[in-house]
Amino acid sequence: MLRRLLLACLSLCFATGIAHAQAKPTLTVYTYGSFAGKYGPGKTIKERFEATCSCELVWVTAEDAGSLVGRLRLEGETTKADVVVGLDMNLAAEAKALGVFAPHGADVKDLSLPIRWADDTFIPFDWGYLAFVYDSTKLANPPKSLKELVENPNGPKVVLQDPRTSAPGLGFLLWMRQVYGDKADDAWAQLKPRVVTFTKGWSEAYGLFMKGEADMVMSYTTSPAYHVVAEKKDQYKAAAFSEGHYLHVELAGATRTTKQPELARTFMVFVLSEPFQSAMPEGNWMMPAKTPQAGLPGAFKDLVQPSKALLFTPEEVQQNRRAFLDGWLNAAAR
Amino acid sequence: MKLRSRLPHPGNVTALAIAALVAGSFIALATVDGGKPALFSIGPYLIRVLAFSVIQAGLSTILSLALGVALALALARRRFFGRDVVLSLLSITMVMPTIVAVFAVLAVYGRSGWLAEALGALGWNGSFTIFGYPGILIAHVFLNAPFVARITLDGLDLVPAEQWRLAASLGFTPAQTFRHLDWPVLRAELAGLAGLVFLMCFKSFAIVLALGGGPSRATLEVAIYEALKIDLDFGRAAWLALIQLAICLFMMLVLDWAFARPPATHTMRAQVRRPDEANRRLKIIDALILVGGGLFIAPLALSVLRGLRNIFDVVDADLLQAFATSAAIATAAALVACGLALSLASAARRRMISRSRRLAAVYDFLPNSLLAVPPFALTAGLFLMIRPFVDPAMAGLILLPLINGLAALPFAYRYIAPRLMTTEERYGRLAASLGMTGLTKLRIVDWPVLRRPLVASFALAMALSFGDFGVIALFGGAELRTLPYLLYERLGSYRLDEAAAVGLIIVLAAFLLAHVSGRMSHAAD
Repeated sequence: MLRRLLLACLSLCFATGIAHAQAKPTLTVYTYGSFAGKYGPGKTIKERFEATCSCELVWVTAEDAGSLVGRLRLEGETTKADVVVGLDMNLAAEAKALGVFAPHGADVKDLSLPIRWADDTFIPFDWGYLAFVYDSTKLANPPKSLKELVENPNGPKVVLQDPRTSAPGLGFLLWMRQVYGDKADDAWAQLKPRVVTFTKGWSEAYGLFMKGEADMVMSYTTSPAYHVVAEKKDQYKAAAFSEGHYLHVELAGATRTTKQPELARTFMVFVLSEPFQSAMPEGNWMMPAKTPQAGLPGAFKDLVQPSKALLFTPEEVQQNRRAFLDGWLNAAAR
Repeated sequence: MKLRSRLPHPGNVTALAIAALVAGSFIALATVDGGKPALFSIGPYLIRVLAFSVIQAGLSTILSLALGVALALALARRRFFGRDVVLSLLSITMVMPTIVAVFAVLAVYGRSGWLAEALGALGWNGSFTIFGYPGILIAHVFLNAPFVARITLDGLDLVPAEQWRLAASLGFTPAQTFRHLDWPVLRAELAGLAGLVFLMCFKSFAIVLALGGGPSRATLEVAIYEALKIDLDFGRAAWLALIQLAICLFMMLVLDWAFARPPATHTMRAQVRRPDEANRRLKIIDALILVGGGLFIAPLALSVLRGLRNIFDVVDADLLQAFATSAAIATAAALVACGLALSLASAARRRMISRSRRLAAVYDFLPNSLLAVPPFALTAGLFLMIRPFVDPAMAGLILLPLINGLAALPFAYRYIAPRLMTTEERYGRLAASLGMTGLTKLRIVDWPVLRRPLVASFALAMALSFGDFGVIALFGGAELRTLPYLLYERLGSYRLDEAAAVGLIIVLAAFLLAHVSGRMSHAAD
């Protein structure tokens, strides 16, 4: 019986493998897990792109942006990736240094980003601001600024991500630097008593918050839109901070090693086109890099609009990350 | 005959192959930047991380062993309705995906968990926090103590029936029973178990960060992960991994020295009444242990049932495919684990027979030391090694079963090695006098005794692989989606409830496998 089951399993695997090996050209796109998952925009994008390209789009996933870069690093020149979707600004310098990416050649002029885009390797496909999300039925008066959050000893408890292991964690570390500059470490020491914990990744932190372990969680200004659209709950809000919010931009790049540069370039142009961009808001719960003609979905219009976008360049991040982390370690471990 | 004697023993080949794989992946990782020496220094940060890792792992191990052994003794002495199910439940905690365990701990002990609610209902208004040592220790003891209980109980069940009859006829007091019958078993099991639990806790990472409460509560594995995934400094990752390996090996040497393994004495197994069952004081103690242990473990395990609400939302083609993939990988991994365990154990036995105990100990050590190797570093290193020969798209298919199999090897070895020794004690001389060797001996002498432990370790290895997420993080893909992968994917899309349901399915699969494994390992042979 067991043997038969095994056989069935194996033949199923082979069958799916053969089904994939079709005559059409295949575009292999690396991305992170939730992008290509059931609720991510991956399926929509695949359908829409395949409708125009007479090719097959195959998603290959790694856990997150860090794993994507790690995998590219391991694969080097032998990588099967034609395009990578899902890097972020803070890893851009490291990703570029791998030397596997080619210039994108797409038009990046009229984007709806809060910053001007000039990079010729990566194109932004969506973005959002980091923000503390809270439950307005439980926290009536959220802090109005980062300073208020940090400096009020009786302020709300927050759950953060570890900047050593997580993208939003690193983002918040940089946010603190933008607001406090060289005094950031002292600010960390002040905030520390109200940090419940620093989790490995965004998922754990958000889970802890939803289970009621903290009053606020480090996430994105777009998170409340998910609760409004998918759960019909409007009590979750992002707190607007007067100093401005740190910007999170997600990037796509085509590889230099691709065997199908034409197809890869077509996809890169497709990334900034209507069919791709309109899948971002309610697929990836981020702001589209180019607002679709029909405008944003309703839930996205009511989101917090930060007064100022805070951002370090990828090169600044690469140079200073170690020092920032060491400062944080010393301050928060005190 | 001559030809056969010149062929190396498969166990030696296995041992060498494993050592070569691990060493090769370290070298590949350390030299990936064209062999330039990696920037690396042991600063105060590393010292602090090391100190914390050792202390929390040590405390977790002591507490897990204490609760586990107490539970095992109490369970060995008592028969009650549903005992079978309880035993199977004991094996599921350790295969839980870490995030499921974290949420379980919070569901019970969190700020708005069951305990806080119960205390609130009793009129208590204070607040408590479990973040820090309490949270980490609760999670680690919850994950490991049931497993310790399970393995120890298996060991206690192997005490020969003749010894129990003798003890009964000599009128042993409970203290004498413990001293002469239970303690030798415990002494034999404790070193290996303590080593396993210590390693698991030493490497624990997502749990430590999620429940630790601060960046000083981080293990060496965090630094390795950081070097691999954030800094992309593979050289540093390799050196950190080497430090981890060295510390863990040292720890196992100490444990091995402290608890020398007595020779196996298993002969006939049969269900025998223990003479200390009737002792009244022991009855009270056992009741306390079982109730206390149950109160600690049951709520945590039950909190996983929250996923039940959404279980029908998650059953779709995606899930079935992920289940099939998980099952296929788990099967392959279990084959790897059992094959390696069998060949290593038989090599260890050969050394024992030829009176070279030191060498036998090396084989005993090898499986455990594999646990000390950070899976992430091993995966990356192995990938670099096979990159020149294998299509990277296929790498995941090769690496996943291999790495999961290696990770399950220490557990499979714990089941198989003692039984292989048993067959030697029973039939070794007879087989030798008949000139039986090699495969013939395996088929006629060993197989009847080994069949059950092999199935048991196969099921356990499968269960472990089912819950594993580590490697798939790097080598997932459209085709390579396992259940834990699906769990994290749903979490990443805000679907916490569906993730809980997927977690429940993983735990249920592990439970079924554990049940099979339990049936098999408890059957008389």
